[in-house]
Amino acid sequence: MDVSKKTVRAWFEVHKWTSLICTLFLLMLCITGLPLIFYEEINHLAGNEAEAPEMPLGTPRMKIDDLLVSARKTYPDNVIRYVYWEEDHPNIVTVSMADSIDAPPTVANLVAIDERTGAVLKQPKFDEGFMYAVYKLHVDMFAGIIGKLFLGLMGLLFVVAIISGIMLYSPIMRKFNFGMVRTEKSSRLKWLDMHNMLGVVTLAWALVVGFTGVINTTSEIVLGLWQVGQLSEMVAPYKDAAPLEGDLSPLEDAIEVTQAKEPEMHVSIVAYPGTMFTSKHHYAVFVRGNTPMTSRLIKPALIDAKSGALTDMRTMPWFVNALFLSQPLHFGDYGGMPLKVLWTLFDIVTIIVLISGLYLWFARRKAQLARIEELEEREIAVPA
Amino acid sequence: MQNNFIRVWKYPVLLAALTVFGLLAALAGTGIWHLLSWLALAVPVASCIRFGFFPGRGIGVKKTT
Repeated sequence: MDVSKKTVRAWFEVHKWTSLICTLFLLMLCITGLPLIFYEEINHLAGNEAEAPEMPLGTPRMKIDDLLVSARKTYPDNVIRYVYWEEDHPNIVTVSMADSIDAPPTVANLVAIDERTGAVLKQPKFDEGFMYAVYKLHVDMFAGIIGKLFLGLMGLLFVVAIISGIMLYSPIMRKFNFGMVRTEKSSRLKWLDMHNMLGVVTLAWALVVGFTGVINTTSEIVLGLWQVGQLSEMVAPYKDAAPLEGDLSPLEDAIEVTQAKEPEMHVSIVAYPGTMFTSKHHYAVFVRGNTPMTSRLIKPALIDAKSGALTDMRTMPWFVNALFLSQPLHFGDYGGMPLKVLWTLFDIVTIIVLISGLYLWFARRKAQLARIEELEEREIAVPA
Repeated sequence: MQNNFIRVWKYPVLLAALTVFGLLAALAGTGIWHLLSWLALAVPVASCIRFGFFPGRGIGVKKTT
């Protein structure tokens, strides 16, 4: 065996084993991913989304602190943890509440409020029903952070499988045309060609979605690094400050002072003092930009929740921004309905590549076993 | 050798470049950028349909035997 044959053999083994380990999980991810592409639309059709009624353009908004009264009335024994605005839901503010400020992150009673009237439009439920089950399967298989990181590992194997597949493409296709699919000889040959063709055509998409998926599985780690890094630097002056008591400064003012500092950006989410995205003494007001890209790169401002003064505002560190940009590139939700449809088609092609790969492994094994059997029979028939 | 590498990889690299462009274009802006993104990403998808549903000898400079 010469060097190049040995190399090809080695890549083949890498391709076989990485694929064998990750294929079933990847199939699950691709299949659950299909409905998740249309999460928004399905949620909308299921009637689990707040809709603001039509009103004359320029109808004034109420002060945020007055809007929050509606939320407090809805869940009188809860505390507010987050307040957020969604780009594609104008005139609606959503308040996320829980029975205590340090309740687990999975606990959230949501109240969607009309910003112009203060009317409660909806109490959206996110943690029940079919789509929630699909979402949980896709993200962590109902196994928390362990399940999440495990899927990240499977994603890494998928990336290695793609790279080894690329390494095999050259020697296999040396004598053949791009796009060739031989149907006349055997079903194994047809599906080998199909696997190679579909795999190479969609390799950039699969690499990007696979790798950004892996990055998304590190979200808890990224949050932790940000908390011990930039966030703790920003709140360092308050390390020994006395606990907050009494009423907080108005949220309206906190938002105003943040907007004054970044007039081009919009408030995306506010974290209340004591939640995981801020200190025990600050509102964290996160602002976003206006393009599909800059709307993902949110920027935190910390506002003293007693004095109402802005104490610090920074750009997120690169690894947080990397996570933020990985999200759209994984979800495919940043280019309208045509992008979602294309995403679906790429996903279906990936499913075909996975299943045909599995089939080729079975078929090859069967062929090998048959050959061994044949040799054994011959040995018995004609003893050496 | 060099020529063969180009021959094998010409179309895959072109499709990968279109894919990456398409993925980033929709992130860069709206309007025309979205349109360019859809067009670019439609090429690999159309290739899958073309070669998958109408199987044949594929495309290339060299004739296959």
